[in-house]
Amino acid sequence: MNVRLLGLGEVPPKLAEAVLAGLPRSFAGGEIGRLPVALENCYDRTRAQVDASCLIERIPDPEPGWSALGLTGVDLFMPALTYVFGISHLGGRRGIVSWFRLRAEEETAEAQARFTRRITTEVVHELGHGMGLVHCVVPDCAMHRSLWPEGVDLKRPEYCPACLATLASL
Amino acid sequence: MMTMPVRILVVDDEQHIRNSLAAWFREEGYEVGVAASGRDALAAIARDGTHILLVDIKMPGMDGLELQRKVHELAPDATIIIMTAYASVETAVQALKEGAYDYIVKPFDPEAVSRLVRKAAERYALLAENRALRERIASASPALITGGSPAMTKVIELVEQVAPTDTSVLITGESGTGKELVARLIHARSNRRFGPFVVENCGALAEGLLESELFGHERGAFTGAVGRHRGKVEMANEGTLFLDEIGDVPARVQVDLLRVLQEHEFKRVGGNETIKVDFRLVTATHRDLEAEVASGRFRDDFYFRINVFQIPLPPLRERPGDISALAEHFLTKFSTQMNRRISGFSPDAMAALVGYPWPGNVRELANAIERAVVLCHGEKIEAGHFPFVAPPGSSDHSLATIEEAHIRQVLAACSHNVAQAARELDIDRVTLYNKMKKFGIERP
Repeated sequence: MNVRLLGLGEVPPKLAEAVLAGLPRSFAGGEIGRLPVALENCYDRTRAQVDASCLIERIPDPEPGWSALGLTGVDLFMPALTYVFGISHLGGRRGIVSWFRLRAEEETAEAQARFTRRITTEVVHELGHGMGLVHCVVPDCAMHRSLWPEGVDLKRPEYCPACLATLASL
Repeated sequence: MMTMPVRILVVDDEQHIRNSLAAWFREEGYEVGVAASGRDALAAIARDGTHILLVDIKMPGMDGLELQRKVHELAPDATIIIMTAYASVETAVQALKEGAYDYIVKPFDPEAVSRLVRKAAERYALLAENRALRERIASASPALITGGSPAMTKVIELVEQVAPTDTSVLITGESGTGKELVARLIHARSNRRFGPFVVENCGALAEGLLESELFGHERGAFTGAVGRHRGKVEMANEGTLFLDEIGDVPARVQVDLLRVLQEHEFKRVGGNETIKVDFRLVTATHRDLEAEVASGRFRDDFYFRINVFQIPLPPLRERPGDISALAEHFLTKFSTQMNRRISGFSPDAMAALVGYPWPGNVRELANAIERAVVLCHGEKIEAGHFPFVAPPGSSDHSLATIEEAHIRQVLAACSHNVAQAARELDIDRVTLYNKMKKFGIERP
């Protein structure tokens, strides 16, 4: 499976490159692109957030053998939920991840590295959903559900053997 | 460990809410359905079954509260989580009072909704496990060993016919014919099988004590009533109350029982609170209740109330063809219990069993086989192992045989007045009844 990382709005080039480089070897390769979307069309003024379920529909269906993942810095929500780190179409090879709530607390190099790792882990997570994986009970598997940034730190940007086996059977 | 995937149904008239929640829970690995209205939800439940429902409280047409009431009827085990906006929290509290599992305010904190649904899924798993255990218990219901005689085959047919109904059953038959076993079988085959099966031997207690045992009492109702006591009637709620030796119930207690059967409510002795009860009554007697009614010793209105469906149990002497099967059954049971290797009965032993009249019926047969297993040190039970076959030139000096003979002698001397015999033997009436039961001694 190849991965196409699409910038939704402003994305620091080095960040996208670091995320692509940090993907596990189970992905064959990838490329970085930019998708010109009008984020304001999915913006909810009352909540001051962007509707993730609206935004994901802006991402075009990828060709066979590819997964498309939008990367953004805006705060995402789903209509029923106060916030999400990202969403995807289960088995649909499309997803988005926001780094808004994954930001590092400090400006140190160590904190910055942790921040990049968080984004990479959540990208791997949403790519997994896009390929048909559901949440995993293994605490350090990328497919384990995390609801706060520190929870993401407990995971690795890789799939556990059980999830890899599931992927092979899909 | 869950045995099947948990199915969630999201019911909300707002499409983007139900779709986003469905996507969220599918990622968790749940099976998720959506419904745009209460009517669609009921159709989905009837079609697919549902374990957890997330229900929006405000929907056009059937609202969340009304849907909740209908779901309780359609799928009582389903767990309902109410979704509400701030403005309708009061209604959500009303939903909780009517049995909702919890409520959650829109928009949800992802962690809160995830945790809530996980807890609901755990509740479902516990309910499923509980149900499986109950079904296992029900399938292990008491077996009635019949030996295949036409008379006992008819009994089984009657049990199967009456068990699923709520009809009162009167089981008649001599002492030791298995009346309590038949009562337990009726309960196990009934819709009340998951409720309690409560037994009271009405012949073993004096009038005042029986009243207290049946209806319970409040603290201070009488001397010695140091605390509140729940009676057997109250304990049998949603289950079956089995009253053995119903022919021994005094007239005043018959009136009280008649009232509770008609009104489905009663008061504890010394109490003012009216308690509602719902139980099925099964009674048993070795007496001829019609004769008791004719002589005025038993109330006719109570008799007609308890004798809606009668199951007569034939004495063992009228079905000798069952004896060998019953004997083999008890031999297997007791030799297993005592870890003895006994392969069967000698021809003489079986002839003795079939030829004996068994006045104490199946209970006496069971006691005789148990005793024989204790005495037997060979591969087969011999005729001499039975108490009713005395070896030539010798006598059985076992304590049990002497005790039984002594009890029979004292009872006969007291004209079978149990209270008087108990005083003579210096034991209480309950102990004497238990010993009579053990030895298969019945009152003429």
